[in-house]
Amino acid sequence: MSGDAANGHAAGGGGPAGEGLEGQHALGVRCEGLSFWYDEGATRIAALRGVDLTLAPGASVALLGPTGSGKSTLLQLLRGLLAPDEGRVLIDGLAAGEDGYEERERRIGLVFQMPEMQLFAATCRDDVAFGPRQLGWSAAEVDDAVTSALAAVGLPADRFGARHPYSLSGGEQRRLALAGVLAMRPGLLLLDEPFVSLDPASRRDLEAILRGLRATGMGLVLATHDVDRAYGLCDARVVLDEGVVVDAGPWRFGAGGEDALLSHRLKLPFVVELWRRLGRAAAEAPPELAAAAEALA
Amino acid sequence: MAIAQYYPRASPIHRLDPRCKVVAVAALVVGLFLRSSFAALAVYGLVAVAGLLLSGVPLGWVARGLRPVVWLLVLTFVVQLLFAPGPAFYTLGPLHLSLRGLAIAGYLSLRLVVLVVASLLLTLTTPPIALTDALAWLSRPLRRLRVPTEELALMVTIALRFIPTLMQEIDTIMKAQRARGASFTRGGPLRRARALVPVLVPLFILSFRRADELALAMEARCYLPGAPRTRLHPLHAHRRDAVVLVLVAALVVLAELI
Amino acid sequence: MSLIEIRGLRYRYAGADDDALHDLDLTVSEGEFVAVVGANGSGKSTLARLLGGLARPAGAARAAVCGHDLCDHEGHFAVRRDVGVLFQNPDNQLVGSTVEEDLAFGLENLALPSPEIARRVDEMLALYGLEALRTREPHLLSGGQRQRTALAGVLAVPRRVLVLDEPTAMLDPAGRDEVLAAVRREADHGLTVVFVTQEMDEVLMADRVVALASGRAVFDGAPAALFAERALLLSLSLGLPPAAEVGLALMERGVLAELTLTLDDLVAALQAGRP
Repeated sequence: MSGDAANGHAAGGGGPAGEGLEGQHALGVRCEGLSFWYDEGATRIAALRGVDLTLAPGASVALLGPTGSGKSTLLQLLRGLLAPDEGRVLIDGLAAGEDGYEERERRIGLVFQMPEMQLFAATCRDDVAFGPRQLGWSAAEVDDAVTSALAAVGLPADRFGARHPYSLSGGEQRRLALAGVLAMRPGLLLLDEPFVSLDPASRRDLEAILRGLRATGMGLVLATHDVDRAYGLCDARVVLDEGVVVDAGPWRFGAGGEDALLSHRLKLPFVVELWRRLGRAAAEAPPELAAAAEALA
Repeated sequence: MAIAQYYPRASPIHRLDPRCKVVAVAALVVGLFLRSSFAALAVYGLVAVAGLLLSGVPLGWVARGLRPVVWLLVLTFVVQLLFAPGPAFYTLGPLHLSLRGLAIAGYLSLRLVVLVVASLLLTLTTPPIALTDALAWLSRPLRRLRVPTEELALMVTIALRFIPTLMQEIDTIMKAQRARGASFTRGGPLRRARALVPVLVPLFILSFRRADELALAMEARCYLPGAPRTRLHPLHAHRRDAVVLVLVAALVVLAELI
Repeated sequence: MSLIEIRGLRYRYAGADDDALHDLDLTVSEGEFVAVVGANGSGKSTLARLLGGLARPAGAARAAVCGHDLCDHEGHFAVRRDVGVLFQNPDNQLVGSTVEEDLAFGLENLALPSPEIARRVDEMLALYGLEALRTREPHLLSGGQRQRTALAGVLAVPRRVLVLDEPTAMLDPAGRDEVLAAVRREADHGLTVVFVTQEMDEVLMADRVVALASGRAVFDGAPAALFAERALLLSLSLGLPPAAEVGLALMERGVLAELTLTLDDLVAALQAGRP
């Protein structure tokens, strides 16, 4: 997997992406033999089976797989919302129970599917402040975190801070929920289907924000069906099917991996599909097409 | 998690008209309370057990249905045993154990069991929509008092249909807030109650939005409150239902006379 | 024959400062497949509801749908029988405790005799490949299965027009394909379709596309014509189908001469240009 460990600094510059959000020590996570079952009525269903995975600090990974393949379960296990039935999760080499594990676990941010569901406070500020307050930070620290987070998602505190969360549009609410997680200054950000049910303009906005976060050195794990966006944002791919890792590797134009995606009922990113249809090897790509592909990614 | 859990099977009990079943169980319950004697209890108990066996529902499901009342059973038994008046054979301060106390405790606990088993017999062998249809039909006389029984029945059906969905949503919202550092297990009752606000507020909002959208979808499918509606599976009474009702009536009389 | 004839349609939500729809004109002939696009707040969903008789216009010079007058109280109720509407959230459309009960809901509301309801439910189960799910409860269905059930439920009552309001927005790619295939099948059988969407590749399914902005129709023509108007698309915050985006990038580099809209067209154009 690609990505350098980043003890980064704020990305700086104008625009919502990465503005004012201080780079934190990025976390590296490893799974060893992770398994998880759940009961549905009288039957036991395996959500994950023997998953081994390594995420280097600062890496941006696309977690792909059909619905029901275990992507959400894996994210929840990484964040410690579920306890594995078998195997373990190591954060920065530490296992559960060891000194410093819990503190690091709290620095893994998880944005759920349709995260607007978690908005409950009377003002945007208050909602974003919920996480930092739970971490026991001082009022000044909370304030600072909230302001940075709101700026990072393009909802500046002076304009949106006092507004009621439900007065925002769908796309804005999505970004507000993301701010709620960013305010906790995560070293690794896990996102479960962040683009679903968003209009195209909001999708583009969110993509830009995630791109900015990635640039600050924050690790990203993107569990999504939107292969095109994932292709543009992530350097590596992990493919899950029926709870098992069926493929993993780098992900960029020409890196391969098409067969794994197709044989597990997944779509290819548009540009990759186009190239496949043209029946050419990536090495033969005329510079114009390759440049176009890079530009779109 | 099952509230009105239905176990599909082709048994004589399943085939009975739900209205008949509701009336039969109601009669059993009333009869149970009319007469306090072990003999009567035995009659009703036997009927309930016979019904269960005929229905072919696995005992495990029945046991699961009894689980919620286990504590109530134990409590009833213990309280009656220790506090019921009567000649004591053992005393310890305010507590005294007597044979009469034992009898009462036993009777009340067994009666509770028979009650629960009888209602389980109803819910395990009748699909929820048939149950609400039966209750709607039986409460038709209330329409004369302008009670909207048909609309209420539909409301109950829809509410039941969304319970599993709501459970999933509660779980997801709780996990999302836990991911933001919330805890639902720490602290005393007041703290835990406050911790539920970030779960209940979104749940309410989701539910209101759902109600709006569902109402619109229903109108789009030509639903009109108060308009007459037919059913995919209308209720059909047969001779066997009448027979069962007569049998039940006879049993109640028998239990009274014993 | 025009099933939808609308001129000068106006609608305003209670308590709003502005009209959601201003002076809208729309004509749809029988058998047509019309896509409706626009940014959020452009009035697309409002239009969908009005066409379905779920709200009454504030005013119109003419608002006839399947021969009923939308502005008339009786008329807008009557429209609900002829026009089916499928919404975005599959879960919030399923009323029944099982798939077959949900399919029956609309038929029950029309007080049809039970044997006919049963017959029609069997037909829809077969047509939509839902037979194996007949007694399945809604919360155990996938997103695509739920939306297919909802669609089957809407069409269980034979309709003259089907209006869809962003029906695939909440679905995964597999679910999207299922639902779009079902819609295509119905359209091929002659059903008149009005498809509100924000996905530009779904627009390519249509014969005609109407673009809304601030409650007005600003474009009415073929999809290819719409995608050729870059400035208009930008002003409406609309994008292009993926093939057109790549095509455009290639045109800018001089690789392609003409804009292509579908993957097939793009592949063909690129292969034609190579020896």
